Amino acid sequence: MIHVDEQVAVAVNGTGEPIGFKWRNANFLVANKPMRWFARREWWAEAVRVQRGIGRDVIEVEMWRLMASDLLSKTCQQYELLHAVGKDDWRLVLVYP
Amino acid sequence: MTFTHLNVASAFSGHFGVTRPELLAEATAVRAERALAITDRNGLYGAVKHIGACLKLGLKPIVGVSLNVLSETDEKLARCVILAHGGDGGIGWAALCRLVSAANTTKRKEAGIRLSALAKHIDRDGLTVATVLLGPDSNLGKAILTENRSDAAGILVQWIKALPGKGALAIELATHLTEPGSPYSLTQTRRMLALADNLGIPAILTNAVRYLEPDDALTADVLDSARFLEPLGKFEPQPNAQAWLKPAKQMRELALEITEDRSRAKKLLDTTELLAQKCELNPEKDCGWGKPKTPEKALLGIDGNPFEVLWQKAHAAIDWRYPHIKEKQLIDVKHRLSKELITINQLGFATYFLTVADVAQMIRDMSIRIAARGSGAGSLTNYLLGISGVDPMEHNLLFERFLSTERSSLPDIDIDVESARRHDIYRAIFKRYGAQRVTLLSMQSTYRGRGAMRDSGLALGLEDDEIDEIAKNMWRFSARSFRAATETKPELSKLSAALESDRKMNLLVDITERLDRLPRHISMHPCGVILGDGNLLNLTPVETSGMGLPMSQYDKDDMDPMGMLKLDVLGVRMQSAMAYAVREIQKTKNIQVELDDIPKDDEKTFELIRTTNTLGIFQIESPGQRELTGKHQPTEFNDLTIQISLFRPGPMKGNMIAPYLDGRHGFAKAEYLHPDLKPILQETFGVVIFHEHVLRIFDKMTGCGLAKADEFRRSLENPRVAQSVERFFKTQANIRGYDNETIAKVWTILASFSSFGFCKAHGAAFALPTYQSAWLKTHHPTEFLAGLLTHDPGMYPRRLLLSEARRLGVKVLPIDVNQSTNEFLVQPAPKITTDPNEPIYGVRMALTDVKAITEPEVQRIVEEQPFQDIADFYVRAKPSRRTLQNLALVGALDELARVSGHHRGDIMQRVKELNLLKARPKDDPNQFSFDFELKEYLQNTEDLSREEKLQAELSILQMDVTEHQIEQYRPMLDAMGVINSNELVGLRNKSEALIAGVRIATQTPPMRSGKRVVFVSLDDGHGVADATFFDEAQARASQILFNNRLLLIAGKTRRTGVNGVSLMAENAWDLKDLWNQWLKEQKAS
Repeated sequence: MIHVDEQVAVAVNGTGEPIGFKWRNANFLVANKPMRWFARREWWAEAVRVQRGIGRDVIEVEMWRLMASDLLSKTCQQYELLHAVGKDDWRLVLVYP
Repeated sequence: MTFTHLNVASAFSGHFGVTRPELLAEATAVRAERALAITDRNGLYGAVKHIGACLKLGLKPIVGVSLNVLSETDEKLARCVILAHGGDGGIGWAALCRLVSAANTTKRKEAGIRLSALAKHIDRDGLTVATVLLGPDSNLGKAILTENRSDAAGILVQWIKALPGKGALAIELATHLTEPGSPYSLTQTRRMLALADNLGIPAILTNAVRYLEPDDALTADVLDSARFLEPLGKFEPQPNAQAWLKPAKQMRELALEITEDRSRAKKLLDTTELLAQKCELNPEKDCGWGKPKTPEKALLGIDGNPFEVLWQKAHAAIDWRYPHIKEKQLIDVKHRLSKELITINQLGFATYFLTVADVAQMIRDMSIRIAARGSGAGSLTNYLLGISGVDPMEHNLLFERFLSTERSSLPDIDIDVESARRHDIYRAIFKRYGAQRVTLLSMQSTYRGRGAMRDSGLALGLEDDEIDEIAKNMWRFSARSFRAATETKPELSKLSAALESDRKMNLLVDITERLDRLPRHISMHPCGVILGDGNLLNLTPVETSGMGLPMSQYDKDDMDPMGMLKLDVLGVRMQSAMAYAVREIQKTKNIQVELDDIPKDDEKTFELIRTTNTLGIFQIESPGQRELTGKHQPTEFNDLTIQISLFRPGPMKGNMIAPYLDGRHGFAKAEYLHPDLKPILQETFGVVIFHEHVLRIFDKMTGCGLAKADEFRRSLENPRVAQSVERFFKTQANIRGYDNETIAKVWTILASFSSFGFCKAHGAAFALPTYQSAWLKTHHPTEFLAGLLTHDPGMYPRRLLLSEARRLGVKVLPIDVNQSTNEFLVQPAPKITTDPNEPIYGVRMALTDVKAITEPEVQRIVEEQPFQDIADFYVRAKPSRRTLQNLALVGALDELARVSGHHRGDIMQRVKELNLLKARPKDDPNQFSFDFELKEYLQNTEDLSREEKLQAELSILQMDVTEHQIEQYRPMLDAMGVINSNELVGLRNKSEALIAGVRIATQTPPMRSGKRVVFVSLDDGHGVADATFFDEAQARASQILFNNRLLLIAGKTRRTGVNGVSLMAENAWDLKDLWNQWLKEQKAS
């Protein structure tokens, strides 16, 4: 398992599921039905303000675990993407061997 | 299609839920749902508020509880939601109340119930009356996440066996969409559903709700921290922000996501709604909503019609209350009594009054002082029944302000008793009516400024002194407006600067604001007792209170909706202090004082009050009341009623004080607007102060009757209703012949009065102990001060009472191990002068104020008295080393050494020797010679200095016994020209002056202008001086304004009345700082 934390460009379908992403100039195509869950952020260590009504993205992020194949090398691996709720802001956080 | 949430923790879930029940219900109603459940942790704390909100909003209420369910060996099996079934005439509700009580009245640390006991509670002769939800937080939920699924099946089978009743058990599916494979994940939910289907157990869907909106999840994090008492990051936090009250559409999507099958999803949702319907409560029939409950007649010793009994009791008491009444007055009394009794009968409250009278009589039979408070003092019935001690006829008080047919809620009758006997009274009430009919009331305290900031600081891991530093400067504002306060208040300027750059401080302010007004913890209500019939414990759950007796989980706001009779038996320290003084007078002077019978026109008493030396007198000792006393100069009992009523937020905001004083002192001619109003307003020189005034004016000018008039008065606060009241008033007054100008003027006054006035009955009820305590202070100051010191009723520290004692010439006798006890006794005092008027008695200081002395130590000393010498004391009283040293330092052993001519320095030396002994010799005369030479031998050493003695007193007793502590600084004060507080009154207006002393009070009363004014009161041994800080002075002295104890204040005198002078402060300094500087300068020169 390799921890990375890099911004990626992600394409999603109508329900918001990722169908492909671009990472380090390579294109990846999602190969299964991705699994979604919600994880939390440690706002007390990172947030600048947390006033009432600031919204859930201070505390929560959407996570996606999926299989994807590199269009060039055709290798298929498992990845985890982190999505800031409500924004087009995606990061690749985990690559499974 | 609707969705009913069946697992919802409200803010009344002990630092777990975030949202108040009313808000949860409102959101549900807006979504046009049918029903909503509340399932607070460990209790029904929010249940009544939930039911009330549901009724108002047209929702069907459902109530359950979230409880730990335990094995037979008390291991936790699960936290389960248990939902009461409804529509069954209350058996489901009763079972829920009983099982919650059972879970909360054990010796276990946290509430919990064994599964076997739970099964019994929810089974009523084979009928299941509640449903237990087995959800993710259970042994089943855990097992199902492991590899070995057969374990999970086995566990579920055990649950089914334990709860065999039809509909007793359901599987609760709840997913917060957490990481696959963890609790509350889809994985867990799917497996639980499969298992439930396999074993044929119904499954229902919830969202295990903790808050209304995802944004509230952050507040939940902070509450978790407060619950675990750990900073964030030091414990496993909630997994995400999904535990919110999701709308039906999202719950349907969740159902589909779990089942991945449309028809199974539909079945899941249908089963959920079926259970919801089974649990919908009928508040009247299931919970006894709104039906008044009183003890059974037989318990009150009544057979027959309670109203007839009440009628006879009240009439029979006329002779007792009015022994020398004239015929004409008797007619008035009887007429008024009949009117009151008819109203009471119409409302069906006869039993209620008899119950309160019964309790009052019981208290009096216990020889405990009792007085009424509040609007109840306006009732002649209460006076005759002995519930209240104020004659409403004499003081012009109105029954209609207290009770009328226009309202049907149970009236509040509040009684004050001696605080030291309050728990005895509670126990006696339990005994008299039976434990099944009585419970104490609870109270939910809520987060306010400081508490919210402290728990927020803890959550963020701030250091204790950092938190203390900020807390010290938080002064009278709600947590909700913390950020705004940092911008305007000078004492928060440091924090305000920190907000520019410090991220943590910003978080602190933000989360403090979030906590505002949330319930913080439950405790015993200071005075409420619930009295019901034999069915009471089927209607309210109880838990063990701090004093051991059971208390209801409902709070005072829940009483009226539940139709419960709440009796306020409030412990008042002043009543204890006065009772104590009366006993000491009896003991030393052999005079039996009947406080309730003393004439209320004693001139000497009013003379004392007018000097403004009112320290220790009930209600009028605060700095503001003292200032008002100086201006007002009361001469009769009714003046006290008026003065107590005037110094309230309402009348102060309503600007009633100045016009009243102007009228009283003849500076302005009293304006009555119309001759008809003169009899009503004469007592206050035309100023409308009392609710009773408003009632009478309404009645006089419209003929509406006093009962209706009180409804009008209440509706003045509501701008929408006020319009129709205005129309009624103007039309009716016009019909009765009042001219338009008068009508307009009177209406303006009534309208602006709205919420500003005060209930005269309440003021009069308070004026009684005010007068009684003033009378004691005037005629028996030594005994009265002994009572004050023992029961500490006032707002000031004990050391100020000592200062007052010295000022009054009351002898203060130092602590003496042969004379002192756990009370401040009045004892013969040694004669020191040749003055024949020198008092022969003094107040002996008690042992209890010695720092770190323990109760057993005090007990031993009192039991073993008298002692021969220090060694004897050491052996028989067995004080700890520290207590022995402390006692010696404050002079408690002085008398033991005086015979041999030794002083405190020698005693300290001896104590040091004794404290060096490894083992205390046994109290056995035969052993002495072997173990320890007990013959007293004192060496001659150097005595302690005056300053050392004073410092010891201050640090060990928090009191300066031998002399006032300000005297240490006397040389500097004299050099600077600091004046004594009693000299202020002799200065011209606007003279420059310096005062110094010990801070005894800091107040920021509400001001009409909205600007903040800070009042600081100093004691310098000659009385109390008050200084007023306006904006500029507040800024100059910002760093010490709320902090330091010893102050020097510079300012100009401001004359406020005949005996009233205060200082308009310009600046203030820390006296100790000045002293150190001064000493340095002295040395240098």
